[in-house]
Amino acid sequence: MSKVDKEKELPVVQKIVSVLWPSFLTAGVATILFFTAFDPVDLGILLGVEALDRLEAYSIGFFLFWILTSTSCALTCYFRKPCDELNRRPGA
Amino acid sequence: MTADKQTQPDPTQVEIYQKREKIYPREVHGLFATLRVAAVLTLLGLYYIVPWLQWDDRQLILFDLPARKFYILGLTFWPQDFFYLALLLVVAALSLFFFTTLAGRLWCGYACPQTVWTEVFLWIERRIEGDRPKQMKLDKAPMSFRKLRIKGTKHLAWILFALWTGFTFVGYFTPIQELAVKLMHFETGPWETFWILFYGFATYGNAGWMREQVCIYMCPYARFQSAMFDRNTLIISYDEDRGEPRGSRKRDEDHEAKGLGDCIDCTLCKQVCPTGIDIREGLQYQCIGCAACVDVCDQVMDKMGYPKGLIRYTTENAIEGKGLHILRPRIFIYAAFLLLITAGLIYGLATRMPLELDIIRDRNALYRETTAGLTENVYTLKLINMEETPHRFELEVSGLEGIQLVARETVIEVPGGEVATFPVRVRVDPVHLESTSSEITFTVTALDKPKLTQTQTARFIGPLIR
Repeated sequence: MSKVDKEKELPVVQKIVSVLWPSFLTAGVATILFFTAFDPVDLGILLGVEALDRLEAYSIGFFLFWILTSTSCALTCYFRKPCDELNRRPGA
Repeated sequence: MTADKQTQPDPTQVEIYQKREKIYPREVHGLFATLRVAAVLTLLGLYYIVPWLQWDDRQLILFDLPARKFYILGLTFWPQDFFYLALLLVVAALSLFFFTTLAGRLWCGYACPQTVWTEVFLWIERRIEGDRPKQMKLDKAPMSFRKLRIKGTKHLAWILFALWTGFTFVGYFTPIQELAVKLMHFETGPWETFWILFYGFATYGNAGWMREQVCIYMCPYARFQSAMFDRNTLIISYDEDRGEPRGSRKRDEDHEAKGLGDCIDCTLCKQVCPTGIDIREGLQYQCIGCAACVDVCDQVMDKMGYPKGLIRYTTENAIEGKGLHILRPRIFIYAAFLLLITAGLIYGLATRMPLELDIIRDRNALYRETTAGLTENVYTLKLINMEETPHRFELEVSGLEGIQLVARETVIEVPGGEVATFPVRVRVDPVHLESTSSEITFTVTALDKPKLTQTQTARFIGPLIR
C-alpha cells in the first residue's frame, strides 16, 4: 500500500475532527488566557467601543480564536499532502 | 481525482472507504454496570442540581463571566486568582496519572462526560426502541409510519434532554433562576440562547451520534494513556490460557474431554462493547475500560457453572502467573505528589488573602522637590476588596527614615467586590536617601478585620545629595 493510500485510510470523521477539534481546544485555552489577562471592557475603551457586553466579547473572542486555530490546523493538513500526489494529473 | 474514483471503484479502495459500522451495545447488568449507573446518577445529579443551590443570597457555584468573578461555595475568585486554577489543573492531571497507573481507564469507563451522557442517551434509546436485537431489526426495516414514529420519538426525547443540558450549562454562567424566568418568556439574550443551543447540539451530536468515535478520534487521553500503563496496571483482560480453544458446547457437556477451554464463544462480550471490539483479541486502544464484557461474561460463566473471571480486571504480570503487584513505587510516588499538591492547594485557599494591592508609579515625573526641600514621589494605588463585605482600610508606608504619607485620606472605604483607585504622595527628606532608588513598603489593613492585610513594595526615586 502506498503512502497516498494510507492517507486515504483516514475516515472522513477523523479528517474533519482533526481540524475542528484540536483548534476548538486550543481556542478555548487561548480565550481563557487572553481574557484572564485583558478585561474586554478595558479593550473596548481602547478600541473606542463603548457599550461592550462581556459575554458577547468572550463569545466573539472565542470564535475569532477558533477561526485562527482551525485555519492553522487546516493548513497543516493541506501541507501534509504528499508531494507525489500533486504531480498526478487530474483524471490520470 | 475524486470524480475519477467515483466512476471507477477500485475494490481495495471500496474496502478502505467502508462506512463506520453502527454499534448497538447490548444492555448489561452486573457489578460494574451498577457502579457505572451509580457514577452516572451521582455526576449528572450534581450537574443538574448544583446550579439551583444557593449560598446566602447567591448561587452556590456561579462563573459570573460578565462580572469576571467566580463564586464557588463561600469564596469569590477573581482573575488574579488564576494561580489556583493552574494548581487545580495540576491536581487533575496527577489524579489521571495515578488512577490510570492503578487500574487503567477508570476515568473513561465511569466518569468521563462522554461516557456519562452516552449512557443516558443509550438508556433513552433502549426505552424507546428496545434492546440491541430490536434496534438492529428496526434499522434494517424499510421506512414505515411505525419506524418514523419510533425514531421521531427517540430524537425528540434526545433533543429535549440535550436542550435541558445546554440550559443547565449556561446556568453555571448566568444566574439559573433568572435564566429560567427569561426562558419561559422567550427573553434570553442572544448569546445565552446561542450557548444553550450550542451546548445542547454538542450533547446531542456527541452522545447520540458520535459516541465511540469521540473516544477513538477526538480524545487526546485515549492516545497517550498507554504510556502510563505498566505490567502491573489493572486492565480488563481475557484469560486466554483458560478460555482457549473457544467453542460452543452443551451446558452439561464435559468441555475438557472435548478439548475446549472455558470460552463458549457466545460473542456476548462483543455485543455489549460500546466501542465494538472483541476483548479476546487482547488489550486494544479502543477499549474504554467500561467492564461491560466482564459483567456479561461473569453471567455466562455462572450459567455454565464455570468459575467467574474469564474476562476480569487483572495485570499483565498476573496473567503470566507472576502474581498481582498493585502497590509499587510508581503508585506511591504519584500518590505522594497528588497528596502534596492537593494539600498545597487547600492550604493556599485557606490562607488566601482576599485583598489585592497594586501600586503604579506616576509616569510623568521621576520625583519632585517640595518648597520645604523634601523629595516627593507620586503613586496611584489600586485596592481590590475581593470579599463580598465592605471594609475600611488604613494605609501606611515605611522603609525610609522620616517617610511621610500625604493623601486626601489614609482610611479608605472599599465596598464588597469593588476596586478603589486613589493617588498618594510620599515625601522623604533627601538626606535620608542612600541611593537614587530605594525600596519602600505600602501596607493596607482592614480596621474591622486586622487579619485582612496586604503589603506591596515600590521604588522611591530621589536625588543623591550625600
